Amino acid sequence: MIFNIVDREINSAQFGVTFFTSSQRHDTCGTNGLPLTPNSIRILGRSQYLKSLNHPNLSQYVDIIRGKHERIIVVLEFYTQNLKTLLKTFKGKEQHELILEIGSQVLNGLKFLNKHGIVCRNLCLENLLLDGSGETKIFNFGLYYMTNNGKFVSFPIGNPKYTAPEVFLSGVRKGPSVYSCDVWSLGIILVELVIGEEIWSELKLSQVLRKVASLTHCEGSVFQRLLQEHHYPHIYTELNPKLRDLIERCLDINPVTRGSPSLLLKDLFNKSTKASDTVCINPFAYPEVSVLNNIILSSQLQASVPANLFNHSDTETPVDQKAKASVDHLLKRSFKEIYYLWQLAGGDVFAELRRQGLTRKKPAVLSLPCSMTLEGESAGKISDIKHLHLPDVITQAAQLPLIIREKDIEYQFHRILLFDRLIKGYPYTKSLIHRESLKDIPPYFRAQIWSCLLEISGDPKSIYNSIDKETPTSTDRQIEVDIPRCHQYDELLSSPIGHEKFKRVLKAWVVSNTEYVYWQGLDSLCAPFLYLNFNNEELAFSCLSAFIPKYLYNFFLKDNSVIIQEYLAKFSQLIAFHDPQLTNHLDSIGFIPELYAIPWFLTMFSHVFPLHKIFHLWDKLLLGDSSFSLCIGLAILYQLRESLLCSGFNECILLFSDMPEISIERCVKDSVDIYCSTPRSTLCRKHEPPPKQRKEVHRKISTDSDFSSNSLPNETRNSTSDGLKMEAIPLADLKKEKCPRISGEDFLALLDLNKTRFNKPKMVVVDVRNYEDYNRGAIPTSINMPYVSSFSADGSLIPTTEVNILNSNRGKIIAVVGNRGDSAVKFAEALLFLEFPRICVLHRGIDIFRSGNILVVPSSMNNL
Amino acid sequence: MASRPATASGVQRPNGATQNKLCQFKLVLLGESAVGKSSLVLRFVKGQFHEYQESTIGAAFLTQTVMLDDTTVKFEIWDTAGQERYHSLAPMYYRGAQAAIVVYDITNQETFARAKTWVKELQRQASPSIVIALAGNKSDLSAKRMVDHDEAYAYADENGLLFMETSAKTAMNVTDIFLAIAKKLPKAEQAGGPGPAQGRRVGLEQDTPRATQNCCIYTT
Repeated sequence: MIFNIVDREINSAQFGVTFFTSSQRHDTCGTNGLPLTPNSIRILGRSQYLKSLNHPNLSQYVDIIRGKHERIIVVLEFYTQNLKTLLKTFKGKEQHELILEIGSQVLNGLKFLNKHGIVCRNLCLENLLLDGSGETKIFNFGLYYMTNNGKFVSFPIGNPKYTAPEVFLSGVRKGPSVYSCDVWSLGIILVELVIGEEIWSELKLSQVLRKVASLTHCEGSVFQRLLQEHHYPHIYTELNPKLRDLIERCLDINPVTRGSPSLLLKDLFNKSTKASDTVCINPFAYPEVSVLNNIILSSQLQASVPANLFNHSDTETPVDQKAKASVDHLLKRSFKEIYYLWQLAGGDVFAELRRQGLTRKKPAVLSLPCSMTLEGESAGKISDIKHLHLPDVITQAAQLPLIIREKDIEYQFHRILLFDRLIKGYPYTKSLIHRESLKDIPPYFRAQIWSCLLEISGDPKSIYNSIDKETPTSTDRQIEVDIPRCHQYDELLSSPIGHEKFKRVLKAWVVSNTEYVYWQGLDSLCAPFLYLNFNNEELAFSCLSAFIPKYLYNFFLKDNSVIIQEYLAKFSQLIAFHDPQLTNHLDSIGFIPELYAIPWFLTMFSHVFPLHKIFHLWDKLLLGDSSFSLCIGLAILYQLRESLLCSGFNECILLFSDMPEISIERCVKDSVDIYCSTPRSTLCRKHEPPPKQRKEVHRKISTDSDFSSNSLPNETRNSTSDGLKMEAIPLADLKKEKCPRISGEDFLALLDLNKTRFNKPKMVVVDVRNYEDYNRGAIPTSINMPYVSSFSADGSLIPTTEVNILNSNRGKIIAVVGNRGDSAVKFAEALLFLEFPRICVLHRGIDIFRSGNILVVPSSMNNL
Repeated sequence: MASRPATASGVQRPNGATQNKLCQFKLVLLGESAVGKSSLVLRFVKGQFHEYQESTIGAAFLTQTVMLDDTTVKFEIWDTAGQERYHSLAPMYYRGAQAAIVVYDITNQETFARAKTWVKELQRQASPSIVIALAGNKSDLSAKRMVDHDEAYAYADENGLLFMETSAKTAMNVTDIFLAIAKKLPKAEQAGGPGPAQGRRVGLEQDTPRATQNCCIYTT
């Protein structure tokens, strides 16, 4: 069934939709005890590949949708003109050149399909469309392929009249047909074109089948016999010899001598086929050849497209643009983009099918009007026609919540145009892509943008192809039992093709990373990349390979316990830094991150959240560095804070065993806030990615980050020695210390002695050395609270003026500065117990400033 | 949360006459991955079964309370990751456990071999009085059976294990195996147990296997 989706707005830019139901079996189990995958899911998985095929003589596949009751809806490029509607016009000698050209175009399309391992098996007059610009397009060419050679559907594929005899002889349902069977179909089509009418049009199906079978006994030329049968024997001699040759070759009864499309092209047309693979510098360029050049916009759309949506054309003046922009630009977008925008605008394939009467969902009684006056006027039946409608007023969409922005057609259109150009300019546009991604990432281009952010370069395809993904390895069993449990609510990932791809990508990763091993959880990590790059396995693999060293450096070592323990110790310190109350509570019930956070960090939350949430989370994660996920972890705790605070151990752990609903938008916002309000050095880890990989990731995740060692004033940086840098802290120490350490660098930046960065002080410095040491030289603005004399026996602070200062500055960062001993660490812990937030300890203590000219004598200090 | 069993019924009767014991037991599930550990727990705790039960990373925790005569038995269940690599985490969970269910898949001989090594490890490392049950799961797939029932039974018998073939899918023997464990666990009347938090704490730092905790707290 075929209909137009958007013809109200864009004349003749049409999408054909075919649909069919496939057979289904209920309540049967496969060998692994799992229910059988529905055929519709199998088809869905296989058909994704068709979307990646682009050729001028093929209809572009745009979308495949799974409906209820095993219905599959296929959206693809469609034109109303086809060879059947125009059949009569081909009659006559003067048309023979044109017929020959059509034959060569169809062969080109078939050759391209064969190159990709596809047999059409569905050629007929109706399935050869004419796009109005001289190209013949094979329509619905993937039906046989997507149904796994017809196995997934209950009906036979292909019109029997055009089906090659050997197909019937070997059994319609047996095995895949060979390429030459399409050549036969083309032969029959060419015969019909030459005589200008359909053959056997009066016959019943059974008679047609008998006719086709009888051709196998034909002594001479099948072509001549068909012409005689339809009373056109004279055409044979009148025919252009080349066309006659072609038809004769096509209608060769023997499939072996008949030859494949590419052989015929070589023999008869002696020309190389059109280049179909575009060469691009960026490895994940998306081929989008289908450009609508014969379509015009309706006046409605023209009037409503805001002119500034198109101001990406550089040379024209704004006035010119206004005048002609609309016509040129929207129509140059690819079919896929237009379809995406149509959906955003409220387009719904199911609703469209219902409206056209092609599917019926509601009972007939419901389509009656709700009320009717005696005069015959009816009311209550609302027309639900949806338009590709662009509002006149440009909304301030950028300010709206992400969920709304993603559904805002105008905003998305704008973003798609922008990112389209940026992606084409990759890698030269790397920083621009990063900057724009800070705002948001349009879902339409998410796969490409993520690849840019992960800095994929080189030739992923040849790297991926060179990896052995077939040889059995010892991890196979684990991978095989994990895949059918990983994000299986998703139709693509649960399809058999999805499973195959999944397995190949994971195996490729294991084989090419010999220093690492497969840990359960790697499957979850792979899922978002595979979902986004379903037709581009090598890119999914490249993304996974780039993601892991950046965010999970050494997490997949055979023995990763040191790395994980350090990460979790840092996580505990981050909780303490921002939420002392929660830390104290969790400590008191013995609720340690080891019990709940390993799956969070090992999979960067991909084991915790469904795909749509992971996308939004990773959109931000990919802009940050490997410590950002610690902030995400804390943001999750924030959302559960109230429950955690009033729960004991069992209730807390139960909460995480069955993760409650987490608002991802809030989580993303909170984690960015946390990231921006945490001095970088307090998150430093020994097992971070090595510096050469970190250089690039040291970019701002938000436009308003206060803390970044990069923003240190230059003069301070010059005077710094290595002592001011953060160093690796031994794991045993890290686990002992509840509060994080801050580096001298970050400390000075926050201290802001020259008052160049902040209007108000951001930090209180507490010097815990004894009075004498303090008076010999101390950090400007610091207050002296010797550890030995500041606390009473019950752990509370003994009231002093310093305590008042501390209390009145609650919420600011408290940097505890001590000597070489552990008094600073103990002091910080005691403050933490009193629920002071944002406590950190100066790494290596006061000593790091001895050589510089920072320390002053406190009596000369005019502090706070 | 399916079970919120902190106060079991009967414990707080107004008349205070009924004497009802509340026993808490820590139970750990061990076994090769994809044998159905999480599914067994899910069936026992929530009465549910998911065909595509997600893999467990690290461990998951659930509780369920069962009534046994006059005793309320509360299971604190640690469901562990099956992959061999997560092995190093396992002691954290079985340390101090009073009971363990070692699970294998009756359609896969290797998982049975793995179950045996788990039993050995428990006998060597865990608390000496731990009650171990062996569960041959996926008994609904008996057409594809690879592990002989009698062989597993004999093995369990030799090693003093409880043994049942279970099916998380059909619910066969699931509650039964937990009840059998509950029956076998000592419900001795030992007063002055540890603080409620201590008993269930799990920590990486605890090196020595904890002796069996006295697990019953008398309430009247």
